[in-house]
Amino acid sequence: MKFGLFYELSVPRPWTRESERTVYQNALEQVRLADELGFDQVWAVEHHFLEEYSHCPAPELFLTACAMITKRIRVGHGIVICVPEFNHPIKIAERTAVLDILSGGRLEVGTGRSATWTELGGFRANPDTTKKSWDEFVRCLPKMWTQETYSYEGEFWSMPERTIVPKVYQRPHPPLWVAVTSPGTELDAAERGLGSLGLTFGQFAEQEKRIAEYRRRIRNCEPVGAFVNDQVSTVNFLYCHEDDTTARTTGRRMADTFNYLASQLISAREAFPSRSYQSLGLLPQLRRQATGPDATEQAGEGLAFGGPQRVIHTLKRWEAVGVDRVNFLMNAMEVIPQADVLASLRLFAKEVMPAFADEKPASVAAGAGA
Amino acid sequence: MPTFGTLELTSVVDRLATMPDLDTEAWSLPGAEILQLAFEVPRATETLLPRAMHPAIPPYATIWVTRYTESPVGPFTLAQLRLMGRAGAHPRGFVLGAVASTEDAARALRERWGLPVVPGRVTFTRRHDRVMASVVRDGVTVLDCELIDPEAIFGGDVQYIHSITLAHAPLEGQTGPRLIQVDSRYTIKKAERGRPRVSTLVAPAWGAGPLRALNPIAATVTSVDTDLPRIRFVMDVEIPVVRGTRRIRESREE
Repeated sequence: MKFGLFYELSVPRPWTRESERTVYQNALEQVRLADELGFDQVWAVEHHFLEEYSHCPAPELFLTACAMITKRIRVGHGIVICVPEFNHPIKIAERTAVLDILSGGRLEVGTGRSATWTELGGFRANPDTTKKSWDEFVRCLPKMWTQETYSYEGEFWSMPERTIVPKVYQRPHPPLWVAVTSPGTELDAAERGLGSLGLTFGQFAEQEKRIAEYRRRIRNCEPVGAFVNDQVSTVNFLYCHEDDTTARTTGRRMADTFNYLASQLISAREAFPSRSYQSLGLLPQLRRQATGPDATEQAGEGLAFGGPQRVIHTLKRWEAVGVDRVNFLMNAMEVIPQADVLASLRLFAKEVMPAFADEKPASVAAGAGA
Repeated sequence: MPTFGTLELTSVVDRLATMPDLDTEAWSLPGAEILQLAFEVPRATETLLPRAMHPAIPPYATIWVTRYTESPVGPFTLAQLRLMGRAGAHPRGFVLGAVASTEDAARALRERWGLPVVPGRVTFTRRHDRVMASVVRDGVTVLDCELIDPEAIFGGDVQYIHSITLAHAPLEGQTGPRLIQVDSRYTIKKAERGRPRVSTLVAPAWGAGPLRALNPIAATVTSVDTDLPRIRFVMDVEIPVVRGTRRIRESREE
């Protein structure tokens, strides 16, 4: 099992230029330490307009900074929104190629389509068509990275023949992933030979069922890229402390803060009923888990809060469920002081990571390399 | 923390409904039709939202026009303007104003659920290419809206958000302004979606001073069996609902 960091970059009000900068600087300091400690990846989201919850609209810039201050940690676009109003496919191919070059072949590319009206409406994107545009984009991207010249006529975009430069550094290309929040999206990933980049928290039984079906389907996939990325990644909170009670209390506070912020977002389906967003996705789950009169006891299941032994036990369960990678959200709204976040990372690396040692690097397992 | 509403109670307290008690019996309302239009509204609408609630990001409102074919007070049509927000972690629509097509319905809805309803002329008109609604009060058209080009969608894709209303309500021997949750159920039999268009919305007539219909989002029309339930949750209007919510009965059926 591999471990990584996952960033939404939430910034509490009142917003000042220093508070925004502090959140970014803290994150970079964490990434630098994580690289030294042996964490495998760092992921950053692409979100727009999500006040306080995520001030990370340009993950490729943040990830470039991460790459420049580290030596081996992989950098993950988690995710790039594959909707034409947000990102033109040519720009995605170009930006990711440059990041792959600058990072020396350490790029992972997550793909997705946005799940909030706040974002979709802000870009005047049609929620009905985001899944279709995503499908078109992910089929184009590997070809744009690898073919000498490229031309395309599709439903959502087109281009005459051109040479898209530069090409990606990794051969044949960086691993591709799909953000999985709504049930069923893991099957979209499997059928296309894409990694499952889970963005839901907790709940072993539900995840085990979905992972098993993903594994079954991907055996017969028709890959959109040059190789199959059959890895399953999930996201989790992390707060590790020698004192189990302190860890759980602090971790719970972080999770409650994050979930409460997430519950303020307008899911696509809340405002715009559409077949394209059949399930309610991540937000209702987080709403149930947020602090309030009907918060559930189940909310803490599978979350990596605790002393080292408790965290090992939790992550072993995730490993048994079939998860290959866990990416950790380590703070929300800066509720945990930076020194404590760094201490949590150090303790995790010292006490927890050895229990999961002696496995092949994730990038090798995925079939791509520099 | 997310921002909160900034409603000054003194600006609305005189026009709130008064509920004699919180023991309202449920109404079963089969065979209804609901026209809902959603559209974004200015940030300034936070002045319309109670301090207990968070504004939505971005702020948006819904016009809800419901034609009830059966009810204990006979058939009636109800138009509501709701400012959408969050009660703690939960999406809720705060009812700014409402107009019912009969005096009996207006009175019952004010007394039993605390909805800020006044009587008026409310129309709900179906044509093959659109569904239209209008509200006239004192000879003035205060709402004229429509769903254009309806197309069938799956009923399960429509998510109706529960309402919260502000009313004078008794609790532990004291009557005062409180937030009341009205969490109706909906069994959707048929659903269509189209483009929303709001031609006339006289905000002051709905107690919605700075509200204007800006960026249109979506419109739906559904055929539903629904209800108006017993009241379960009462909230303090001035403190965050995560701290100020009282559950006054366990279930809707109790």
